[in-house]
Amino acid sequence: MRNRTKMLLLTAIALVGAACLMFREPEGISAAHAPELTDSGAQPAMVLFPVSDKPSRGVSGMKPVVFNHKLHEGKVQECESCHHTGDPVPCTTCHTVEGKAEGNFVTLERAMHASNIAPRKDGRTPQSCVSCHRKVYTERLECAGCHSIVKPTENDDWCAVCHADLPSLTREQWQAGIQGKLSPAENVAIASSTIASKKPHEYLEGSRTRYRVTLDTLKDKYEANVFNHARHIVSLQRKIANDPLANAFHSSSSILCQTCHHHEPATTQPSKCVSCHTPTIDRAHPERPSLKAAYHLQCMGCHDGMEVKRPRNTDCTGCHRLRTVQQEETK
Amino acid sequence: MNRRKFLTMLGSAGVVSALASTTAPKEAKASHIFPYYPESYGVLHDTTRCVGCRSCEQACNEVNSLPKPNKPFDDLSVCNTKRRTSATEWTVVNKYKMNGKDVFRKLQCFHCQDPACASACFAKCFQKQPDGSVTYDGTQCVGCRYCMIACPFYVPGFEYNEAWDPLVKKCTFCKPRLDKGQLPGCVEACPMDALTFGRRTDLIKAARKRITENPDKYLDYIYGEHDAGGTAWMVLAPANPKGPKVPPENPVLAGPEMKQLGLDTHLGNQPMGELTYGALGTVPMIVAFWPVLFGGAYAMTKRREAMHKEEQEKTVRQAREDVAKAVDAVVRTIQETEGEGAADRARKAMAEALKARGEAGKHGEGA
Amino acid sequence: MENHSIVIPTREKMFNMGPLLKPTPGNIITWIILAVGLIITIIRFTQGIGSVANLDDNQPWGMWIGFDLLCGVCLAAGGYFTTVACYVMGMKHFHSAARPAVLTAFLGYLFVVVALLYDLGHPLRLPYMFFFPGTTSVLFEVGLCVATYLTVLFVEFSVAPAEWLSNRFPIVLKWRTFVNKINILLTIFGMTLSTLHQSSLGSLYLICPGKLHPLWYSPFLPMFFFVSSMVAGASMVVMEGFFAHKGAHAYMDSTHLRESDSVVLSFSKAASFILMAYFMLKFIDMLVQANTGYLFSGYGAWWLVEMFGFVLLPALLYAKGSRDGNVRLCQYASMNAVAGIVLNRFNISMIAFNYQLPSAERYFPSIWEILISVFVVTMIVTAYRFIVYHMPILYEHPNFKDAHH
Repeated sequence: MRNRTKMLLLTAIALVGAACLMFREPEGISAAHAPELTDSGAQPAMVLFPVSDKPSRGVSGMKPVVFNHKLHEGKVQECESCHHTGDPVPCTTCHTVEGKAEGNFVTLERAMHASNIAPRKDGRTPQSCVSCHRKVYTERLECAGCHSIVKPTENDDWCAVCHADLPSLTREQWQAGIQGKLSPAENVAIASSTIASKKPHEYLEGSRTRYRVTLDTLKDKYEANVFNHARHIVSLQRKIANDPLANAFHSSSSILCQTCHHHEPATTQPSKCVSCHTPTIDRAHPERPSLKAAYHLQCMGCHDGMEVKRPRNTDCTGCHRLRTVQQEETK
Repeated sequence: MNRRKFLTMLGSAGVVSALASTTAPKEAKASHIFPYYPESYGVLHDTTRCVGCRSCEQACNEVNSLPKPNKPFDDLSVCNTKRRTSATEWTVVNKYKMNGKDVFRKLQCFHCQDPACASACFAKCFQKQPDGSVTYDGTQCVGCRYCMIACPFYVPGFEYNEAWDPLVKKCTFCKPRLDKGQLPGCVEACPMDALTFGRRTDLIKAARKRITENPDKYLDYIYGEHDAGGTAWMVLAPANPKGPKVPPENPVLAGPEMKQLGLDTHLGNQPMGELTYGALGTVPMIVAFWPVLFGGAYAMTKRREAMHKEEQEKTVRQAREDVAKAVDAVVRTIQETEGEGAADRARKAMAEALKARGEAGKHGEGA
Repeated sequence: MENHSIVIPTREKMFNMGPLLKPTPGNIITWIILAVGLIITIIRFTQGIGSVANLDDNQPWGMWIGFDLLCGVCLAAGGYFTTVACYVMGMKHFHSAARPAVLTAFLGYLFVVVALLYDLGHPLRLPYMFFFPGTTSVLFEVGLCVATYLTVLFVEFSVAPAEWLSNRFPIVLKWRTFVNKINILLTIFGMTLSTLHQSSLGSLYLICPGKLHPLWYSPFLPMFFFVSSMVAGASMVVMEGFFAHKGAHAYMDSTHLRESDSVVLSFSKAASFILMAYFMLKFIDMLVQANTGYLFSGYGAWWLVEMFGFVLLPALLYAKGSRDGNVRLCQYASMNAVAGIVLNRFNISMIAFNYQLPSAERYFPSIWEILISVFVVTMIVTAYRFIVYHMPILYEHPNFKDAHH
C-alpha cells in the first residue's frame, strides 16, 4: 500500500515537473532578440572585426564576432564596465590586432580574452568578454554549482560560440571590416540579421534519462545512496533555461551531462563511475580520486558551489542511512 | 715527509672526520639540494576538498592503537576550538576562517626534507628515511625536548605524565604500514581524497596541475614545497574568491592568506637546522684560536712583568750606588776638614739612617 | 687584625658545622626549603614532570631551563672572567677574588646539571649524548662543553678541598702541586669552553625564528649571550662579594678585605664598558634587522624596559660608582645588572617565546616549578656556606701562604 502511495505521489510530481518544463521552455528560449534601439542610444548590435593596422592582404585572421549590445547593456550596470576609459568608443579604437600606444599595446586578443587582469589602483579595472563571463558563471549560484567542479573546455567549439560563421557576410564586407572601413549601417544590418536567424538549442529531456540511480558499490557502513538522477537534470535545465549566456555556451544538448559524465562524449549509455574510479585508491594513479571520493567530490562540489545548505557535508546519514546489524542479518 | 705534505694529510683527516660525522647516506655535497631522497613519498593535503569529518583522526587513532579520546570522533564540535597535535593525538583537524569561509586543515608531522627535530636532537633519535618519513627512536631519547623547541610546526608531543619512560610522540607517516605496502591510515580513510599519497616529485606536479587548471580555486602556493627546506607533506589552500589574485609562489604575498590557515610562510626555504650551522661552524675556530690568543696574552703579561722587574732592579741598584758614592764623598770631605774621628761618627750615623729607612720600607711593603 | 677570628679546621677538628646547624632564622628557612624541595623532588621523580610542572607541548622548556640552566650558566661566568683577568691578564690584585669566583662557578655548573636532571624525561640517559652524538645539534655542543668545563672547574677548585683535607690525608698535596702547575692551562681551556657554551646557549634559539619575537631573535644571539655572560661574571663577583661580606665576613683574611674594594671598583669599570658595548650591539642589531616597527607594540615597550632599565641603567650606575669609588653604588649596579641578565634570559626562553600563541596557550610556571628552582638555589647557597666554613676560600691557609706566587 505504502509503495503505491509513494508511486502515485512521485508520478504526480513528475507530471507537474514535466508540465512546467513544457510550458516554460518555449517561452524562454524562443524569445527572439529583435533589433531594437537601445537605452543608451548605441546600436543594438554590431559585428566586431579584428581590426588591424597592417595593410590587409585579403581576408585573414579570426572570424568576426556578432555582439548583441542591447542584451549586454541590460546585464551590465555601467557603460564603464566595458568602455573602461569612460569614452564610449569601439574597442578597436585603442586595441587592434597588433596593439598600439593608445591602448597601452594591449592587443585586441588580450582585451577580449584576458582572464587575469591586475586590479587598477583607481578602481576602474577593465574587463574582457571572457573575464566578465567567468565572473558570471562563478558567482551566480545557478552556474556556480557545476562550474565549481568543471571549467569550460577552451577548444574550437568554445571559440566558435562567439567566432561563428556569418552567412550574410561577404568577403568584401569582411575585408572592409578588418580595415575599419565598413559603414555602420551595413555592419548593424549584418549583425541584426545574424541574431534574428539564431535558433535555440534543444536539451536532452530529463524524462529521457534514467530516473533513479542506486549507488551501491561501496555500501558497507552505510546503505546505498539512491540518487534521483532525473530530478537533478531537470532542475539544472530549469535553472539556466532563461539565461542567454548559458544557452549560448551550453551549445550542445549533452554538455550538461558532462559535468558528471566527464572525459567521454555524450551518450545515453555512459560508462559507470567505477570503471575509472576504483573503490580503493589506485596506486598506479594516486592523483585519481577513489570511487568514494569521486562521488563525494562531485556531489559536494556542486552543492557547495550552489550553497546548498542541507545535507551538510559531514552529515553522512543525510544521503545514505547508517547500516544496522539487523539489516545485515536479514539480507 | 715535508711540511706541506704533512699539513695536507692533517687537513684531509679533518675533512674525512667531518664527513663521517654527518649522516652517512647523504651524499657529500657542498650545500643541501632537495629533495635529498628523490624517490621519497609525500602526501598532498588539498584543503579545498577537506570537509572536516575527522575520519583521518579516527583512522590514525585506530591504526596506531592510541588511547580513545573523551569525545567520540563523530563529534565535530571539537573542530571549533583550535587544537594541536600531542602525544596521544598524532593528527588533528582544525577549522579556520579563511576570507570568511570555513576551511579545514589536517595537522600532523610535515616530515620535513631536512628536519629541524633531527638537526636539534643531541642523541640522534630522529632520522629522515629514504621513503620520506621522519622516524623517532625512543630507546635513546634523553627527554630534553629540544626537538619540540626546534619544530617550526609545533608537532611533537611529550608524555609529561609518564614517570618512568616519557617519550616524544608524533606522526610516523605510518612507517610500519608503508613498509607493508599499505597507505597511511589517514590517507586511506579520507572520504574526499583530500590527502593524496605519492612520490613527492609527482605530488608537486599534481599540485601544480590543479592550480593551473583551477586558478580561481587555489591559492598559487604549495605550502611545503620549499618552506622550511621542503616538507614531504604539503598543503594546498583555497584562493580568496573576492580579493585580488595572489602572484604565484610568493611566500610574502601568500603569507596573509596562509596565515589564516595557521601556516607560516616566513620560515624561509632553508632547512631550519642551517640557521645554527653558522654558529656551530665557529666552534673549531674558537677551539683553535682562543688558546693562541689567551696564551699570547699570558706570554705578554709574563714578559711585561719580567721587564718591569728588571727595570726596577736596575733603578734600585743605581740608587744604591748613588747613595754609596754620596756617602763616600761626604765622609771624605769630613775627614779632610774635621779629622778621622768625626768621619767615623758620620759614616756610622749615615749607615744607621739608611738601615732604618730600609727596614721601614720593608715593613711598609709587607703590611 | 690578621686572622682575626677565622676558624681553620685542624687535624683534630675537621668539621665546623656550627654555623650551619645553629637555629638562626636564616638556617630555619633553609631547612624548610630543603625539606619541601625534597618532597617535590620525590613527587617529580615518581609521578612524572607533568605532576609538578606547567610545561606543555607548546612550551617544552620553562622555568627549569630558563632560570636554572640559562641563568645558572650565565651567572656562573664569574669563574672564567676572574681567572682570566687574574692569571692571564696578570691583574694580581684580583687574586683574592679568584678562588671565591671559581667556587661559585663550580657550584653553579654543578647545580645546573642537578637542575637539568629534573627537566629531562630520562635523566639517567644524560650520558647517551656521548654514545649517540648528534653533532648537528647545538645542544650537543652545550652538553659537551658544560660537561668538560665542569670537570675543569672541579680541577681548578680542587685545590681548596685539597688544602682542607691535607690535614688528614697529606697525599692530596701532590694533587694540589700538580694543579698549581697546570693552572694557566686550565684557565685558558676554561676560557675557551666558556666562550663556546655561553654563546651556544644563545645558539639554541637560532633554530626557531618563528617562535621567538623578532626583537629578541637575532642571528647574533650567540654573541649577545657571550657578551652578556661577561657582564654577568663581573656582576656576580661584585654582588657575591656583597653577600659574602654579610654572611661570611669572619672567614675573610686581611688580604681579601684589603683587595675587595679594588676588585669591586675594577670589575665595575669593566662591566660598565661591556654593558655599554652590549647595549650598542643590541641596539644596532635592532636597527639592522629593521625591527623599529616592533618597538611600538607591547613587546617593543618591554624590550625598551629591558634595554634602558636593565642594560643602560646598570652601565651608567657602574660607571658612576667606579669613577667615584662608591663601592655601595657598584653593588647596587651589580644587582641591577644581574636582574637584567635574568630578565633577558626569561624573555628569550619564556616571555617572548611563543609570542604568537594566544594567551590561553601561553606558559606560566607552576608554584612547584618555582619551588624547585628555589630549592636548587638554596642548595647552592648551603653548599657554598659549607665550603666557605671549611676550606680556605676567603682566606689564605697559613700553611700555603706561598700558593699564589
